[in-house]
Amino acid sequence: MSNYKLPISKINQLFKNKELKPSELYAETFERAAITESIIHGHLELFQEENLKKALNSDKRYEKGKNLGTLDGIPIAIKDNINISGYATTCSSKMLSNYISPYDATVITRLKNEGALFTGKTNLDEFAMGSSTENSAFGPTKNPWDSSRVPGGSSGGSAAVVSAGSAIASLGSDTGGSIRQPASFCGVVGFKPTYGTVSRFGLVAFASSLDQIGPITNHVEDARLIFNSMKGHDPRDATSLIESKAKQPKLKNAKIGIIKELMEDGISEDAKKEVHKVAKLLEAEGHEIIEVSLPLTKMSISIYYLIAPAECSANLSRFDGVRYGNRVSGSTSSEMMELTRANGFGPEVKKRILLGTYALSAGYYDAYYGQALKARAMMKKEFTDIYEDVDYLISPTTPSDPFKFGEKSDNQLEMYMSDLCTIPANLVGMPAISIPTGLSSQGLPLSVQIMSPSNTDNTLLDFSESLESLVAFTEEPVINGVVS
Amino acid sequence: MNIIPTIGMETHVELKTNSKMFCRCHVLDTESPNESLCPTCLGLPGSLPVPNKKAIEFITLLALSTNCSITNDGMFHRKNYFYPDLPKNYQISQFDLPVGTEGSLEIVVDGEFGTVEIERVHMEEDTGKSTHIGSGRIDSATSTHLDFNRAGIPLVEVVTKPLIKSSKEAVAYIEELRQLVIDLDISEGKLEKGNLRFDANISVAHEGDKELGTKVEIKNMNSLKSLEKAIEYEISRQTKMLIAEENIIQETRHWDEKKEVTSSMRSKEGSADYRYFSDPDIPNMILSNDFVNEIKKIIPELPSQKRKMFIETGLSIEDANNLGKNKNWIGDLYRSITKITGDSKSSFNWVTGELQGQLRKLEIKDLPNWVTPKNLSEIILLVKEDKISFTSGKEILANLIEQEIVPEEFASENNLIQENNIEEISKIVEEVIENNSEVLERIANGEEKLIGFLVGQIIKISKGQVNPSVAKELLLKEISS
Repeated sequence: MSNYKLPISKINQLFKNKELKPSELYAETFERAAITESIIHGHLELFQEENLKKALNSDKRYEKGKNLGTLDGIPIAIKDNINISGYATTCSSKMLSNYISPYDATVITRLKNEGALFTGKTNLDEFAMGSSTENSAFGPTKNPWDSSRVPGGSSGGSAAVVSAGSAIASLGSDTGGSIRQPASFCGVVGFKPTYGTVSRFGLVAFASSLDQIGPITNHVEDARLIFNSMKGHDPRDATSLIESKAKQPKLKNAKIGIIKELMEDGISEDAKKEVHKVAKLLEAEGHEIIEVSLPLTKMSISIYYLIAPAECSANLSRFDGVRYGNRVSGSTSSEMMELTRANGFGPEVKKRILLGTYALSAGYYDAYYGQALKARAMMKKEFTDIYEDVDYLISPTTPSDPFKFGEKSDNQLEMYMSDLCTIPANLVGMPAISIPTGLSSQGLPLSVQIMSPSNTDNTLLDFSESLESLVAFTEEPVINGVVS
Repeated sequence: MNIIPTIGMETHVELKTNSKMFCRCHVLDTESPNESLCPTCLGLPGSLPVPNKKAIEFITLLALSTNCSITNDGMFHRKNYFYPDLPKNYQISQFDLPVGTEGSLEIVVDGEFGTVEIERVHMEEDTGKSTHIGSGRIDSATSTHLDFNRAGIPLVEVVTKPLIKSSKEAVAYIEELRQLVIDLDISEGKLEKGNLRFDANISVAHEGDKELGTKVEIKNMNSLKSLEKAIEYEISRQTKMLIAEENIIQETRHWDEKKEVTSSMRSKEGSADYRYFSDPDIPNMILSNDFVNEIKKIIPELPSQKRKMFIETGLSIEDANNLGKNKNWIGDLYRSITKITGDSKSSFNWVTGELQGQLRKLEIKDLPNWVTPKNLSEIILLVKEDKISFTSGKEILANLIEQEIVPEEFASENNLIQENNIEEISKIVEEVIENNSEVLERIANGEEKLIGFLVGQIIKISKGQVNPSVAKELLLKEISS
């Protein structure tokens, strides 16, 4: 196994034992990028030159035995909707193609404090709206397992680079599955923490009440490491939680519910088979598996496609060409703003802004947005109630294995359906993780999703780690004839 | 049939917090543009708002002081509209759950008490400032300069019910609100600096009509004078239209300070849809009863309470109201002095008139510590008891401000004590009459003005120690006898 596929804790051991230097790993990662990036197009920008010095500084710290944290010297890729001071934050939009951020997101500050290095910024669906990275203004990212297929989205770039080995780990953002769905498509681990545990300050907002930053990694333990480095109250994010003690689910002899509604029509046989396979393994370990019904789960896409566009319609209003970003001149200021927005946003973003604007309009608010809020509250209750009975919930992460480019871009509803299993966690706020478990009949990665009550993130990660070792998924993609 | 105007006021009060409403930028008092900015108040991608606790305390103070009910579980909403000086193209404001509702404010109009009903008191953030070059309006300007120093400064919007009946009431209301925010120490309250900015909603209807007339909003009134004039103008414009049975349209009109007229700004106002929804970046604003009770404890003496107390000392409503508009120490000084002198009117006149006038002339901001209620009262009583003339009183006061003196001693040493002894004065009067027979003749022939000349002579001979009114009385008695 190459160094860049090792768990971060192992790499850290190698660094400490002076068997490997951060600068050597850094070089190895960029060598890998040189092979994979021309095919995958996971990174929009690589920070190779400017970070070499930082890698050498990390070398020195390890030489003195004074590394900052376990992440010291670990190259991590950052989704391009998270601000790093001095670098572009484009959100894969023409609107911001020239925008350089003057500040660090809180997660970036925290990772910097740990000594982490950044490989660069990764591709996404424009403003994180999409499930395939086909909505990027800078061209799509390819799936490392099959370059004719999508890597998922919106954090497609972040998932693909970890899968391809051009970063040890990455950060994504998840509004309706944008970490978990691409992680599943690329055969890596994707974790969406409880809403509010990781600060959103510096994450370009798509839908503020749903957005959450999380890690995409090769191993569950890496996800835990990065999550714990980033989490914690941030005074600059009013929705960030102050750590509270919640009742934790059981790690042994746990009760696990298979969500009935996510094992029905629209879910492929392969995906169902994977869940049953995992259930059997868990049963053999002494866990109890039951089927549970959460009827409102079927409503989740309808609820989501009112709430997320409504919030995004206001969140994206600030992109008007007045203070930053690309501007298209007009004869009046309002014409300038109209032309800037008409030119700067892609079709999916425009569609969602229109949808959200409509849902919030006088006379329609109560029928659409207002109803969606009520349904969301009911759905939260449904999940809270079910957790009275079960420790974890299990489902496929995605209805199918990765689809081909163009396959769903003509059928928007089918595209939206690919987030069916992941959206509930965002609407409810609870943590959810996608763990690769096997390959489909086409030889493409499949995953299962485990969810647990809000504020039980570390227990969920512990449980997931034990599941990961039970499953022992070790398959890796072949890129350009080179196995990682 | 009579035509009745109805006015509702919307007032924005800029709070004097150290930092902005949703970020840590300093609130700067500077002409230099774009000095106090950060990702949040500039609406950079990824920035988030965090509410300012001090501003929430301030608005709670104001809501309680206007007798509002406090919303314990309030919310911030986004008000969506596009304008270049609005960084996020939505303003964080409040919608259906404002901090305060259903309040009232006591006002004084023409020396009488009145009440203005408050509909709501809510919290929001200010916009940036636009300067249009080449035109007064953005769409005809050649360019527009934007200054975001003001963007994000906390504003409280106070909305009255449409129950105000005249321009005078509206002005009295703004004066009262201004005094209130100054006394609460939550705003500079300076109109000329835009700390208080008000719009008026005006309609007219026939007396007895069940429904109000079409509402017209008037903007751009920068002083109390322009508020009064604009309302007067608008009432008369609408009244004429109503009589002529013309259609009054719902619109926003702009007060032109120079031409003293209102003109149409935009008529689409009625259809504006701000698409309010609760801001997902900010948790609900929980104002617990404990918090509210803590705020209640720090409410200072309010203008209405001060007024009540001044009236109890014997002042008229008008005087009491005016006294309350002064700095607190003036009121306190008045209170102490009137206790000693027992004469509210003279105490009021001396403190608000002479004392403040002299201090202002000398550009003295703080009263010298030797100028005490005791020695000021002494001056007032000397004048009141006719021991010295009013003019002498002013002179003693001027000296007192300069140095520590005892007024009565000063009066004696400088021969300012008036001669009130009738016999003594009569002697001088007789002397003057003897020496001015020609003048007396002229007076007899109708030149009554010359009486003043003779009084002057009496005062001159007495070296200013004769009370002029007593002298005049005696003189007239002598002449007529």
